Amino acid sequence: MTVLDDQLDLGTPRVDSDTIVTVLIDGTPVEVPEGTSIMRAAALTGTQVPKLCATDSLAAFGSCRLCLVEVDGKPGTPASCTTPCSEGMSVRTQTPRLDKLRKGVMELYISDHPLDCLTCPANGDCELQDMAGVVGLRDVRYPDGANHLDAPKDESNPYFTFDESKCIACSRCVRACDEVQGTFALTIAGRGFGSKVAASDGVPFLESECVSCGACVQACPTATLQEKTVIDLGVPTRKVKTTCAYCGVGCSFVAELRGDELVRMVPDKTGGANAGHSCVKGRFAWGYAGHEDRVTAPLIRESIDDEWKVVSWDEAIGFAADRLKSIQSEFGVDSIGGITSSRCTNEEVYVVQKMVRAAFGTNNVDTCARVCHSPTGYGLKQTFGTSAGTQDFKSVEKADVIMVIGANPTDAHPVFASRMKRRLREGAELIVVDPRTIDLVRSAHIEASHHLQLMPGTNVAIVNAMGHVAATEGWIDREFVKERCDLTSLQSWEEFIRLPENSPEALEEATGVPADQVRAAARAYATASNAAIYYGLGVTEHSQGSTMVMAMANLAMATGNIGREGVGVNPLRGQNNVQGACDMGSFPHEFSGYRHVSDDTVREQFEALWGAEMRSDPGMRIPNMLDAATVGEFKGIYIQGEDIAQSDPNTDHVTEALRSMDCVIVQDLFLNETAKFAHVFLPGTSFLEKDGTFTNAERRINRVRPVMPSRTGMAEWEVTCALAKAMGYAMDYDTSSQIMDEIAAVTPTFSGVSFELLDKVGSVQWPCNEKAPLGTPVMHVDEFVRGKGQFITTPFVPTDERSTRKFPLLLTTGRILSQYNVGAQTRRTNNVVWHAEDVLDMHEADAQARGISDGDWAEVTSRAGNTRLRVRVSDDIPAGVVYTTFHHPVSGTNVITTDNSDWATNCPEYKVTAVEVRPSSKVST
Amino acid sequence: MTVVPDVDLNYEQAHLVKMVNQIAANVPNRHEVAEQVAVHLRTFWTPEMQRDIQAIERDYPEVLVHQVHVALEILRRS
Repeated sequence: MTVLDDQLDLGTPRVDSDTIVTVLIDGTPVEVPEGTSIMRAAALTGTQVPKLCATDSLAAFGSCRLCLVEVDGKPGTPASCTTPCSEGMSVRTQTPRLDKLRKGVMELYISDHPLDCLTCPANGDCELQDMAGVVGLRDVRYPDGANHLDAPKDESNPYFTFDESKCIACSRCVRACDEVQGTFALTIAGRGFGSKVAASDGVPFLESECVSCGACVQACPTATLQEKTVIDLGVPTRKVKTTCAYCGVGCSFVAELRGDELVRMVPDKTGGANAGHSCVKGRFAWGYAGHEDRVTAPLIRESIDDEWKVVSWDEAIGFAADRLKSIQSEFGVDSIGGITSSRCTNEEVYVVQKMVRAAFGTNNVDTCARVCHSPTGYGLKQTFGTSAGTQDFKSVEKADVIMVIGANPTDAHPVFASRMKRRLREGAELIVVDPRTIDLVRSAHIEASHHLQLMPGTNVAIVNAMGHVAATEGWIDREFVKERCDLTSLQSWEEFIRLPENSPEALEEATGVPADQVRAAARAYATASNAAIYYGLGVTEHSQGSTMVMAMANLAMATGNIGREGVGVNPLRGQNNVQGACDMGSFPHEFSGYRHVSDDTVREQFEALWGAEMRSDPGMRIPNMLDAATVGEFKGIYIQGEDIAQSDPNTDHVTEALRSMDCVIVQDLFLNETAKFAHVFLPGTSFLEKDGTFTNAERRINRVRPVMPSRTGMAEWEVTCALAKAMGYAMDYDTSSQIMDEIAAVTPTFSGVSFELLDKVGSVQWPCNEKAPLGTPVMHVDEFVRGKGQFITTPFVPTDERSTRKFPLLLTTGRILSQYNVGAQTRRTNNVVWHAEDVLDMHEADAQARGISDGDWAEVTSRAGNTRLRVRVSDDIPAGVVYTTFHHPVSGTNVITTDNSDWATNCPEYKVTAVEVRPSSKVST
Repeated sequence: MTVVPDVDLNYEQAHLVKMVNQIAANVPNRHEVAEQVAVHLRTFWTPEMQRDIQAIERDYPEVLVHQVHVALEILRRS
């Protein structure tokens, strides 16, 4: 199989040093940073020193003794992986002595390895096989003796096998689990001949702490740890670089195929977001793209009570356009709208919002970010001037204090979590602000110094209290705020934050967090050289989500933690293209680049380019559309890749609204819950078929390349353009790169972006323009986007949703590692072995008080509705709080969430719902 | 806690009332609440929603907090 040039293994990791040394490798001079291994220096000259235990994603180990070299003037034959280069060193990598030594080493390895190369799944992709060839091994002198050839296979993991008989005990898998993933699930058990790789205490992989990230499989030089798809299908023959379609980390992958059949997804070593690492979803859970539930032909029906009818694209688009036009004719131009999807590319999203504004003639366009990170957009724009996180992911490597608020990165953003955990193992201090005891609070080699276990709904109180400590104890960075921030707003904020009502002591009763804990955490954050905030939906999905984002921005500015590596305010975006969908003008009040529709200059630019009149008034948000539908004022909607009937709060209200409409158009891979109320189903394309770009949580624009042809016969953007045309407005593009060219032409932060640039440099982080032609990893370095940073007072206003006698518990929701959002993708993969159903986590005291035991079914009731879930008694959650996920439609989790929302953005308050839990004998239906 | 008087509003109307009262309770600068509410409605609410809340104010003034009445007056004058 061909190896992409930039995926070559240089043997040991890159070393950063200001001192450059020159060494001779077989007479060829090479300059490398001091500390670089001889093995890596040799690889840089094109000389691959034979190796087995070394790989450039792991620290040198020096165990296989195959990479021996000779160094002039030095005795012996040192291992090239563990020997650093020094100035003037002269190295020989091929000599008769080395050949003999290496052949002897290989002979020993092969003496205890099956000689089944021709039928081995790694045939042609095995480093042991390669090395045997390189050293010229022709026979093995040792007679049959004790060996491991009959060791049993562990096939418990759904995605890979562990064939112990092929193991050479190089420890690469163990070290990958430790160093790259940070889970420490594997070990070398036993000693000497008895040494063997073991998961946890020698249990099958599936029963161990293994999180199936695939790092061990990637590191294994033999077929010991092997993808089952490779075993079934054979070694891939071609490769395409693309981007994962799951979370907001946006990992780069190399899709490896045989013809058009995908064999495996391998994390891209050059990926800016993931640097060669992956998680169980991106690495393995892509089978949904070919699942039998996939719908690949357009469907229509007159009424939602009718059966679906398979039709041609022309008929489906004509049917949809006629209905939408008819609705507008009867109910007015604003009686229809659209929703864009964070699972679609920037190009696909852009054409949908353009269709709504130009073809529909309304600003009734919104996006699924409404229900996740819309408060991030609002809060960061108000304070910093732009609606995006401040750092690149790499920045965490420079952080001294890391504060994780309302996020569970090891489950929801696992690849970034691994990077964060590495920094924590190096000694960075960790503050966790979360009602739950998430894994980061205490796991292998990591322990939070501060866990502020607050009651749901009191985020603003906690961060205000931290600001109070910073202000009253003299931790304001006067030099920074004087130079970088608006001083009038600073003065107002200081007057506000110093009020006694914002002290940790005054807020202790509301938050449930002892004041001394808050003070200690605040001091740690405020006095660190570099302190960074990472946050998730536990911040945004509250009635004060936007206020909380601004409160964190205040704290970061006040303590000077903005504008360099290692600091910042960083949203961990839920979906792969949340950032991009927002950037593309999906909000009803903004064009692309976050410019308000009332701005005459901006509007005129779009009118001139699009040849259509643009509205200057904001359109409806998703909840406004649904409300209007229930009173008969909103009748038609185009829903791109979102399942609002499962994902949005207060399901009964959502379905009532959908049922009230005359034309619901769903564009998706599957007939999802929303499609039950649809009149038109337009089959979508999976990420493996798309051609475009995703923008991840660090503003990184990555190419999504078509790995295989569209299974529907059309690209999604082509379908949108066809519908626009049928509505009477032509949107003509030949390729998706032309759409990006238009985005760049109308969006100042994207003005330098093109497919050509991305194909050349890999990825860029916006702003990418004349000032920053290769993008901007860290924002607000010399000044804020808005000029001076704006402090905003953030009074704590408790949510209306409180525990009462009738509903005494507070429900909060989230997601887990193996599943993803509403589960449309992951439920159609083998990931179900880890999470076959949503469960309700409940503290033992609450369970006992209700006569509920672990594993019992329980009825969960809120003022919005009720559902049934199986209970898991857990000490990860405090008394008075219960927790569940929303990955399975049968759970109906959002039946019980309410219409409470963030005051500024209407982002639903998923994280606080007052409920009661009662024993139930009935299974959820 | 926001307390909405028991009047005969449909779901959409009740939601608008809840939203606008919540905006008034949460806008950052507590010295200029009405002005900020007016700006917020102008920036994020559709003209139809603004008309609807004005109509609700006419029919059920008691469901809106004082600062919202002031904000709506600002919008009427602008």
